[in-house]
Amino acid sequence: MTDVTIAPLPAAPLHVFEIWSNPAAVADRFKAATGFALPPTGRSGGNDALRVIRFEPTVWLVEGDVSALGDVLGTDGALTAIGGGIVRVRLSGAGWRTLLMEGGVLNAEDPTFSAGCSASTIIDHVNVRLHVVSDDVCDAYVPLSFSADLLHFWQEATPALFDGVAH
Amino acid sequence: MSGPMRDPKGATISFTFDGKTYQARAGDTLAAALLANGIGLVGRSFKYHRPRGIMTAGIEEPNALVTVGDGGRAEPNTRATDVFVYDGLIARSQNRWPNLSFDVGAVFSLAAPMLGAGFYYKTFFGSAKRWMFYEYFIRKAAGLGNAPTKADPDKFSQRAAFCDVLVVGAGPAGLQAALEQAEAGKRVILVEQDAILGASLIRDPQKLDAAWVAATATRIRAAGGRILTRTTASGYWEHDLVTLTQRLAEPGEAPSSGVTQRLWHVRAGQVILATGSIERPMAFAHNDRPGVMLSQAARTYVRRFGVLPGKRVVIATNNDDAYMTAQALKEAGAEIVAILDARPEFSDAASGAVSAGLPVWANAVPSSVTGARHCLSGVTALIDGQSKSWKADLIAVSGGFTPVVHLHMQAGGTLDWNEAAQAFVPAASRQNVSTIGGAANPDPVFPVTPVSNPKKSFIDFQNDVSLADVDLAWAEGYRSVEHLKRYTTLGMATDQGKLSNMAALGRLAEKQGVSIPEAGLTTFRPPYTPVSMGAIAGAGAKNAGAHVRRLALYDVHAAKNPIGQPLGYWFRPRAYPQGQETLAQAALREAKAVRTGVGMTDVSTLAKFEVSGPDAAAFLDIICATTVSKLAVGRGRYTFMLREDGIVFDDGTVWRLDENRYLLTSSTGGADRMATHISYVRQYLCPQLKVSAVNVQEHYAGIAIAGPKAKPVMDALMKADAPRHMSTVPSDIAGVPVIVLAASYSGERAFEVYVEASKAASVWAACEAEVTAQGGCLYGLEAMEFLRIEKGHLVVGGEVDGRMTPMDLALDKMLNKAGGYVGATGLSRPALSEPGRRQLVGLEAISGDIPEGAMLITQKGASPEGHVSAAAFRILEGGSVALGQLKDGFSRHGEELIASSPTRGQEARVRVVHPHFYDTAGERYRD
Amino acid sequence: MMQITCPHCGPRAQSEFIYERTVDSVVPLDAAPEQAMATLFARTNPRGVDEEIWRHTYGCRAWLIMTRHRVTNEISAARAVGPEALP
Repeated sequence: MTDVTIAPLPAAPLHVFEIWSNPAAVADRFKAATGFALPPTGRSGGNDALRVIRFEPTVWLVEGDVSALGDVLGTDGALTAIGGGIVRVRLSGAGWRTLLMEGGVLNAEDPTFSAGCSASTIIDHVNVRLHVVSDDVCDAYVPLSFSADLLHFWQEATPALFDGVAH
Repeated sequence: MSGPMRDPKGATISFTFDGKTYQARAGDTLAAALLANGIGLVGRSFKYHRPRGIMTAGIEEPNALVTVGDGGRAEPNTRATDVFVYDGLIARSQNRWPNLSFDVGAVFSLAAPMLGAGFYYKTFFGSAKRWMFYEYFIRKAAGLGNAPTKADPDKFSQRAAFCDVLVVGAGPAGLQAALEQAEAGKRVILVEQDAILGASLIRDPQKLDAAWVAATATRIRAAGGRILTRTTASGYWEHDLVTLTQRLAEPGEAPSSGVTQRLWHVRAGQVILATGSIERPMAFAHNDRPGVMLSQAARTYVRRFGVLPGKRVVIATNNDDAYMTAQALKEAGAEIVAILDARPEFSDAASGAVSAGLPVWANAVPSSVTGARHCLSGVTALIDGQSKSWKADLIAVSGGFTPVVHLHMQAGGTLDWNEAAQAFVPAASRQNVSTIGGAANPDPVFPVTPVSNPKKSFIDFQNDVSLADVDLAWAEGYRSVEHLKRYTTLGMATDQGKLSNMAALGRLAEKQGVSIPEAGLTTFRPPYTPVSMGAIAGAGAKNAGAHVRRLALYDVHAAKNPIGQPLGYWFRPRAYPQGQETLAQAALREAKAVRTGVGMTDVSTLAKFEVSGPDAAAFLDIICATTVSKLAVGRGRYTFMLREDGIVFDDGTVWRLDENRYLLTSSTGGADRMATHISYVRQYLCPQLKVSAVNVQEHYAGIAIAGPKAKPVMDALMKADAPRHMSTVPSDIAGVPVIVLAASYSGERAFEVYVEASKAASVWAACEAEVTAQGGCLYGLEAMEFLRIEKGHLVVGGEVDGRMTPMDLALDKMLNKAGGYVGATGLSRPALSEPGRRQLVGLEAISGDIPEGAMLITQKGASPEGHVSAAAFRILEGGSVALGQLKDGFSRHGEELIASSPTRGQEARVRVVHPHFYDTAGERYRD
Repeated sequence: MMQITCPHCGPRAQSEFIYERTVDSVVPLDAAPEQAMATLFARTNPRGVDEEIWRHTYGCRAWLIMTRHRVTNEISAARAVGPEALP
């Protein structure tokens, strides 16, 4: 498969969910409140209403309704809104893995980098957070200031993506 | 060479060489096509302008360098042996004037005795007059092709790849290894610099033929292996990262997908080098002429391209391989007039050739050749010490084989000496790399010591280095091989000594009376073959590399056609000119609007951090050199940060939004540095703190509204009483939640509105409508600069330049008396309190306009005692004012100095004053 | 370009990381002035193995201490530093 489409998604609330103390207790409260566990580094959890993606040791990126999470954290952590500065870009089609190799350094072609996996990396000099939604979809979280250039980069790279690469 | 050397049948591709059209066959290299058309003279040498032809059939070609392509696609110094002809290819010879056959520069050949080793060094170290005399000729004559002056219309790509096994070289050993690894379940990448697979099997298909190559490739692909042709492994870096350069279009060719080359970064679990070997030339007089060709190259032209490179051929060898060339040429119809075998006894191959009726001579080495521009006419050899000559139009030489150990050595590997092959072979490596095939096991050869006239016996063809140059370097005391290389420029041309290194080492060892391995070897560094700058730049080659960071309100600003200004990676409006206004006129009008009415500007790029948690205040007391913890909720203050050595490195404001929540702002240019510093203190120095410090620089867009009418504007926007100076409230503008801070950089009553960036456009529109209604306007960075200089406010990167302490900037009264902040200890070092430090001052022009960057001197010729960090004009009254740093400046108010900028040719007489030129009492920004 | 094994993310390309400083250059907040001066201005610069502080700036943003041979680039260890985190 050699197709990939690149489409920005509408702005959405995104929060940093950071734990500074008693992480095990917070994890228990989180599971009790949401029904799913806080994911380990490099993984995501949840559903379309509340998705939690872990990119950092003590920080999770939360997409969706955070109203229940203040109580979950209590005095062990904080929520901070960051969505205004991030553009979500959906890469769909089986070619997304190859597209991410372009100007990148992360092994997106590794089949174990699959649905539910996350990684923060650098693509064409831009720090991008990735979340694999399914075999055919990967979402990229791109800093707003770089998003126009990176979208342009991806669009320019697409026609030549499979040129000279025997399959 | 006389006339076409191949039946023109089947040649359907047209190309031009020096403006004349020729035909080529599909699959021809340019070199093969030139030879097929009877073109023997292809270029002129670098230094002496000697006629040069085609010596090899591969990337090691030193002589046949041409410019391929036109306009922005032109690629100079392209090896004719490394370009595959396509319809419409345009090639031009280089380094000749007025044309290739008659080259004026060839008189340099007559001057050769003067241009020997070290010529440049001696000339540089001689009198300046001597250099001036030579310079004209050197500039005109030296060099290879010309760099294109137009932009390359094509794109370059960079691609990452990961594999278990990377196999470099698709000859018999590489293909076999790739097959075994792929079928063992490994993820394999096999790369081949040629357009087709097989390498040595293409010229020697006796044992394994093209069908085997094709079948093997099919099996490799079926097992999941990736095969990249026209791809060169050009660099071997740390931790088994290998860079590959892949040509998607030939030099000068329009690429079908828009991308002409791709640079691969391959991280391999294991690397197998099957890079083969490069045949060595022999040293004899005039061995650089057209008609002198490497033996395997001659065989390649016959077997691969059907081109006969000579009709009367002498073969010179020190090994058995060349006998296959004799056979191939004979089969193709050439007459073998002599085989000169340097070995004293006939080998089996030599005896076989004798039986086949070929004239083989033992203990025979070529001593010189004769010829005119395009071709060879005769060969003279020494046989058992006796001279003998033949008429011949080609001499095919084989001086042994040099294993391609470049990548092994780039990887940090060591080499062993193989005495039988007279060659260095790969030994140990600290990386996961192994070498197989001919590169590891070169054929045995007989060592030959050159006996010819050293002056005309070339070893580095591309840089015109002869044996005599090595001898001269030795005579002048250059003993180390590294010195020899630099003194003679041997091995420093675009071929990086692929043919010449061993010959030079042999000569050096001979002079030293030691063995070759004792003489040493220079280090191979990337790239293996030349890499286009565009491939290194990647996609960024199109717009100078760096991304330009866009403001959230980019479209809003763009619609107003501002004059832009780069600020770090950002691009911000510098001024919004109206009509025919210049930058200065627009900026002054905007600044006046702020001083007299109201203006608004985009301050979104400021660094912003949201700091939360019970330890937030304690954390900020460590980051900031001022006291933060005493701040009441809803209040803010100016702050600055120190490096560990006590020097100020950034400043900004800190606001207590809530009991346990603060907003810290700092400079745009220092934003990334501050983010790292905050993370360092949080994660490394203070992991125990209960705090979350989040970078919200891009989350919030920022709008500043300043001027005597800013308060009524804000009141209207908030539909409430705007906060008093240095206070903050959450609010709502145009239905969007915002944070309003009352802070002033301009010196007027002012506010900053922070709004989630994705919702900023409607808030901006509401603000602009209200500002306009009050008779105000937008202002850009230039007006902001005027305003802050007049007010004496600092800028990081200007007054805060990495050398100034809080004392030097008169900020020390604000320091946290309790200490405990980063830099508190460093600040106590005695050197920072000694007299003679530069201190912040204001400067007022007595005559002239103060030039920015000017040095401050007491009189002409005196040493500088400071400099002007920022200059502007009084906004309402006019007159040139500036901020500067001056030795012991605090105690020099009233003194007259000269602000002199010799680079700008500008000068002003200035008076040292207090750095606040406007509203020194600080009344205007309060209610 | 080196490959660095991040304690949190596994092997990643060097370009995701930024070298920050050596371990012996860290000035503790409570350092005595003499100690701070020595740390800042009289550090060692070994030709060989050193303990370096790097940050996975463009990855998980965490800090790590890396034992690296400064001639061969051999990385013999990389350990995490920072607040307590969930596995």
